[in-house]
Amino acid sequence: MMNGYEEKHGHLDDDAFGPKSGGIVSAFDAFPKAKPQYVERTSGGGKWTVAMIIISLLLFWSELSRWWRGTETHTFAVEKGVSHSMDINLDIVVKMKCADLHINVQDAAGDRILAGTKLTRDPTNWAQWVDAKEMHKLGRDAQGRVITGEGYTTIGEEGFGEEHIHDIVALGRKKARWGKTPRLWGKEADSCRIFGSLSLNKVQGDFHITARGHGYMEFGEHLDHNAFNFSHIISELSFGPFLPSLVNPLDRTVNAAPNHFHKFQYFMSVVPTAYSVGDPGKMGSASIFTNQYAVTEQSQEINDRIIPGIFFKYDIEPILLNIVESRDSFFVFLIKVINVLSGALVAGHWGFRLSDWVSEVMGRRRRSGQSQGMLGGHSSHGGSNGKGYTD
Amino acid sequence: MPAKSRFTRLDAFTKTVEDARIRTTSGGIVTIVSLIVVLFLAWGEWADYRRIVIHPQLIVDKGRGERMEIHLNITFPRVPCELLTLDVMDVSGEQQHGVQHGVRMVRLRPQSEGGGEIDSKALALHAAEDAATHLDPSYCGPCYGATPPHNAQKAGCCNTCDEVREAYAQTSWAFGTGVGVEQCEREHYAERLDEQRHEGCRIEGGLRVNKVIGNFHIAPGRSFSNGNMHVHDLKNYWETPIPGGHSFTHTIHHLRFGPQLPDDLHKKLGSKALPWTSHHLNPLDDTHQETDDPNFNYMYFVKIVPTSYFPLGWEGKHSQENHGAGLGQFGQSVDGSVETHQYSVTSHKRSLAGGDDAAEGHQERLHSKGGIPGVFFSYDISPMKVINREERAKTFLGFIAGLCAAVGGTLTVAAAVDRGLFEGATRLKKMRSKDL
Repeated sequence: MMNGYEEKHGHLDDDAFGPKSGGIVSAFDAFPKAKPQYVERTSGGGKWTVAMIIISLLLFWSELSRWWRGTETHTFAVEKGVSHSMDINLDIVVKMKCADLHINVQDAAGDRILAGTKLTRDPTNWAQWVDAKEMHKLGRDAQGRVITGEGYTTIGEEGFGEEHIHDIVALGRKKARWGKTPRLWGKEADSCRIFGSLSLNKVQGDFHITARGHGYMEFGEHLDHNAFNFSHIISELSFGPFLPSLVNPLDRTVNAAPNHFHKFQYFMSVVPTAYSVGDPGKMGSASIFTNQYAVTEQSQEINDRIIPGIFFKYDIEPILLNIVESRDSFFVFLIKVINVLSGALVAGHWGFRLSDWVSEVMGRRRRSGQSQGMLGGHSSHGGSNGKGYTD
Repeated sequence: MPAKSRFTRLDAFTKTVEDARIRTTSGGIVTIVSLIVVLFLAWGEWADYRRIVIHPQLIVDKGRGERMEIHLNITFPRVPCELLTLDVMDVSGEQQHGVQHGVRMVRLRPQSEGGGEIDSKALALHAAEDAATHLDPSYCGPCYGATPPHNAQKAGCCNTCDEVREAYAQTSWAFGTGVGVEQCEREHYAERLDEQRHEGCRIEGGLRVNKVIGNFHIAPGRSFSNGNMHVHDLKNYWETPIPGGHSFTHTIHHLRFGPQLPDDLHKKLGSKALPWTSHHLNPLDDTHQETDDPNFNYMYFVKIVPTSYFPLGWEGKHSQENHGAGLGQFGQSVDGSVETHQYSVTSHKRSLAGGDDAAEGHQERLHSKGGIPGVFFSYDISPMKVINREERAKTFLGFIAGLCAAVGGTLTVAAAVDRGLFEGATRLKKMRSKDL
């Protein structure tokens, strides 16, 4: 057995390494270390050690992943500064000829914005945008995404609120461009694609697409009522900077008009939203400022005294949403890990002692059962304790 | 040896018999270092415990029939006070024309003379010499066909120039400078007005309005409402002898709705105060707009968000709003809580002639024609209310728990480190002695 050999050397070590009589620093040692000859290793303890190492690793891993994921905080505030304008980005296909459409904005400031002059209007064919059955779903690719010809990839369907903030911020930094209108290839241009960005006054307003000669009497001659068809596909409709990767509630929706006199109304509440990774203002933080909106759609058949068309009525909410994804500093994480690991260590130690005690008690029960109620059971307590150690 | 109970085996704090203990230098160093770390962490915990954080909450505003105060301080360097009128209108149908109570109009020297104050008089009062009364006590001045004002000094008569103007305004007639009006000529109204033409004006003070959608505007000329129409008498504003005419160039020194929140609030918000939020800053403060066009209209679309501020130790007792509180004291209670409003604002300007916004690079934007020159604030109240509550970052128990965690964690880790050092050293020694 090696013990004897070790003990001898243990004594030698004491002289060289143990308590020196004049050591001031060592006098502070608050961690009792038993001399090796008094330390005993048991296989039960070894098992517990291995178990605790595994548990500690698991805890460490979960802590690490939680730290890496960061936390998402939602705060709100009132927007700062005096604002003037806000962009609207849209990409809509209407089943009418471009020349027959009027696109205007009228807002609470009393301005009328001739959106038609600022947006691009491309003649296109309706069939290129919907599938054969004119379903309420657009042609989708293998992943179930809509092929709209936009030159960007789309993220999940849930809307950008549910995505990871760093994904949104990363997508928001991509350079955005409008997709090309598919070539007609000799097909009849029965529809009009209206797309582009337009600056609006940042006040309540009404963006509308109406027919030539209806609504605004001053432009264009009267259009035949049979030419009215306000069926439309919205590929993109967003407020603020053009960030096509962010999916808004109206993106990729189709709304078909069953008759000529139909009025589509969308009531939207625009909520300014700021996404940031890392606390804003600190080093290495990135943020994008955009707008989300809630929308209610209402469409009805109307008589010929009411102006048919597509109306987007928007209003801006005064409260800004602030979504911040942040991660604790590495130091804080380290402290947390140390806490968790040391807690596990102490708990493991306790657990070991507890299990030891339980097995001891159980062992004695069994023994006392065999000895048919020996009276000396209690008096041998101390002795059996000693035995427990020597197992 | 004391009698061992069953629990002795459970002892988590085993003590090594003193004889079996070794004290090592490495252990001492680890102890000292860990003590320093513990002290540092404990201090951090303490600082965290003492820190006051602002906890913002968003609730639906449940107040009813509340009123709010508008505090404003706006300078118009190119319109004299005599021509300016402040009107408030809201959707409840309440209208306050020519608001005078609580608002002071301060006459300013022309811009060429530096724009200092001339004198200040509360508009609610009229200086005695202004009211040039007729010598004859039985005198009853004609109202020139207009309905005599109901608050005239002598019923059915217009004895002063002011009363004639009032009568004209109530009958929706333009008044002009009062040429041919006996009372005004006696009071030298036209001369006095022309003397003031070069002056500027500063409107300062507060007014109390219903907490509903509404607007207030500062526009030239006496205003009157006729049915659904709100009209200003612009004759004196347009027919001005001074070169270049008047214009609504203005500087907003201050515009807030309700009392000012404590200044140190922004500091306390710490990292929560994000760069694009106006936590407790009024966005319109110290903004300046300049124009040379007399027919220019400025609009400010203000969205008001009710905001409460509860300091630490606020009891949460429901304080009844004191409608009798004097202007300026409204919304501030003795316990330190503040009921106020924040706002976001969008500004818009246009010429009354209409036209497009090509100057700003938006040719597609057509302004509407007509209207009144002036500065218009239309306000809208948000249904959501922000509550800023001061709180301790941690409760006392939380602090104790944090302290224990810091101390325990450090000591356990230190013990492990020490153990490792000791074992390592022992092994090293052993190997060396073996080599020997």
